[in-house]
Amino acid sequence: MSAREAILNAVRGGLGHRTVDPAARRREADALLEDLPAIRPGLLADDLVEAFIARLVTPKVAATAERIADARELPAAVARYLEARGLPAAIALQPAAVLQALDWSGFELHERVAPDETLAVGCARWGIAETGSLVFHSDAETPILANFLPLHHLVMVRASTVLAYLDDYAKATAGQRPPRNVNIITGASGTTDIEGSLVLGAHGPRYLHVVVVEDLPAA
Amino acid sequence: MEEATLSFKARAERALADPTLKIAIDRTTGTAERKRAVAMSQFPQFEAARERGKRIKDHVIANLDHYLLEFERNAIASGAKVYWAATAEEASQIVVRLCKEAGAKRVTRVKSMLGEEIGLPHALDEAGIERVETDLAEHIVQLGGDRPSHIVWPSMHRTREQVSEMFKRLHRAPHQEETIEAMVDSARRELRDKFLSADVAISGANFLLADTGATCTVTNEGNAELTTTPPRVHIVTAGIEKLVPSMGHAIAMLRLLVRSATGADVTQYTTFHCGPKQAGDRDGPEEFHIVLVDNGRSRMLREGMKEMLRCIRCGACMNHCVVFRQLGGHVYGGTYPGPMGAVLTPVFDGLEKSRDLPHACTMNGKCQEVCPVAIPLPTLLRGWRDRSWREGLEPAVVRFGLGIHTFVASHPRLYRLGTAIAVRVMRLFSRGGLVRGMPGLGAWTAYREFPAPAKRTFMEMVKDQENTR
Repeated sequence: MSAREAILNAVRGGLGHRTVDPAARRREADALLEDLPAIRPGLLADDLVEAFIARLVTPKVAATAERIADARELPAAVARYLEARGLPAAIALQPAAVLQALDWSGFELHERVAPDETLAVGCARWGIAETGSLVFHSDAETPILANFLPLHHLVMVRASTVLAYLDDYAKATAGQRPPRNVNIITGASGTTDIEGSLVLGAHGPRYLHVVVVEDLPAA
Repeated sequence: MEEATLSFKARAERALADPTLKIAIDRTTGTAERKRAVAMSQFPQFEAARERGKRIKDHVIANLDHYLLEFERNAIASGAKVYWAATAEEASQIVVRLCKEAGAKRVTRVKSMLGEEIGLPHALDEAGIERVETDLAEHIVQLGGDRPSHIVWPSMHRTREQVSEMFKRLHRAPHQEETIEAMVDSARRELRDKFLSADVAISGANFLLADTGATCTVTNEGNAELTTTPPRVHIVTAGIEKLVPSMGHAIAMLRLLVRSATGADVTQYTTFHCGPKQAGDRDGPEEFHIVLVDNGRSRMLREGMKEMLRCIRCGACMNHCVVFRQLGGHVYGGTYPGPMGAVLTPVFDGLEKSRDLPHACTMNGKCQEVCPVAIPLPTLLRGWRDRSWREGLEPAVVRFGLGIHTFVASHPRLYRLGTAIAVRVMRLFSRGGLVRGMPGLGAWTAYREFPAPAKRTFMEMVKDQENTR
């Protein structure tokens, strides 16, 4: 008998005799996700983008955030960020069409994120107001390592893609073929492994700055 | 003497005599307890969420065969390969074989308690494969050559001073400044190139999603993604109880897990891994393997311990356990310490070897109170005590003592006489209202005192009252 059969038999033996109607099982599983407001926390504001930003800047998440009216203002926002911290204008740009279409004159751009990359600019597919999270899907425009190697991570997210709850992300993608990786990123990398005290920049980015864009530029 | 060969009592005595250990435990568990309390005060839905979490896990366990098969089918459809291992040995053999087939010289690992449970670090070392632990705490454990002492903070038995000393001795470019920030930086530098040059990545899974075949890891450091993205092969090992029907269910469990473990609302990095690199992907492994491990779990279903299969490994029970907070995790001798470890270790190692663990408990119920899936840990521990008694594993002196107690307690006159003598004798040893030492009670009074008993027994006083009425 294979290990697979042995395990399944042992599990069935442990569960005892029962007849389970697949439709009933599905109903039971669905019922476990009903009345979600009873089992999740409220938002920090009524407006989703306000709630998202309010959560991002709480000490627990410890990110910074700003809002711009148009994606075309992103390079200027990045320039301000670099200048405020005295960083060189050499950045790794996520190979996403929406970012590459912007005017980056004055920047030294590269696509490949180096192991000791100072700053990478990326864009997230969704924001989550509940937790201040950003959601990325791995694909041709989204190398996963770009989210983890740089010291500073600047992420653009469109206001219209900010969802209220993590559950809304699950609903938005239900039934679709999942990407290899879904990264739900909340703040910068941190560790509490030495005496429980929080230190940022463990392996991933030490700083996360989120730029919420009201609108995409007209095509 | 090797710790593993010492008795529980000897290990406990050694731990109690170590003042540095006590400082280290207090620093981490104290922080964890405070942070959890704050998180709970901001989550008034906790009770309802925990009831739901319990029901989600109960539903999965009641349909475990179905969800295992659904997961397997979807994982294979995503391009993953799925393996089944009935025992710890089988599981680590499968992983080592996959590493060898991949021609692996260097393997990076994401912290996984299941990996520890199946003896994977040892199996990889035996096979001559270089193993790089990437979680900061596991890195500290690896440098120190010891074992994890907590399931969330494996190196919580080390003070910052000890970590600093190790990093200075063993890192290529160690920190200069004596701050935790500088030490974390030192580890960042040390591990950077290892992430990128490994042949195989090995991770565990916090959840397995039946409806997509995805596995979920949660970390705060980002080491899981840095570990599992660059190598050509990613291997996941997961216990069969990790299933949930869908991502929505995983999210409901995540809210409980993270608040209970670290007091955050969500981990910094929550990643769902589904199959190998897809067409067009910029990075990711070519091969994705998942090893489903039973190792006693199906037996727990059979032997009345299915509630324990709800455990999501948050560590809250140990952070709030008065015994764990005195002794630390190593004393428990197994992979899992604290109350949940005292329930699980007898499953893995046999009750004969671990019968002391269910006794290392004051039954104050705190673990059950904080458990995010409401596991009746004290009841399960009492179950092991019962079984140990029934199977004759309790030592002769305990059986003899309890035999005398049973006899006396079932003979009221004898009982009254005995207690009347006892309270009077004990009072002779009281100083300032406390008994701090007494012949025959040295083992108790070495670490604690107890209040002197009243002048007369309860029964004597009742009798007096009846007479004066």
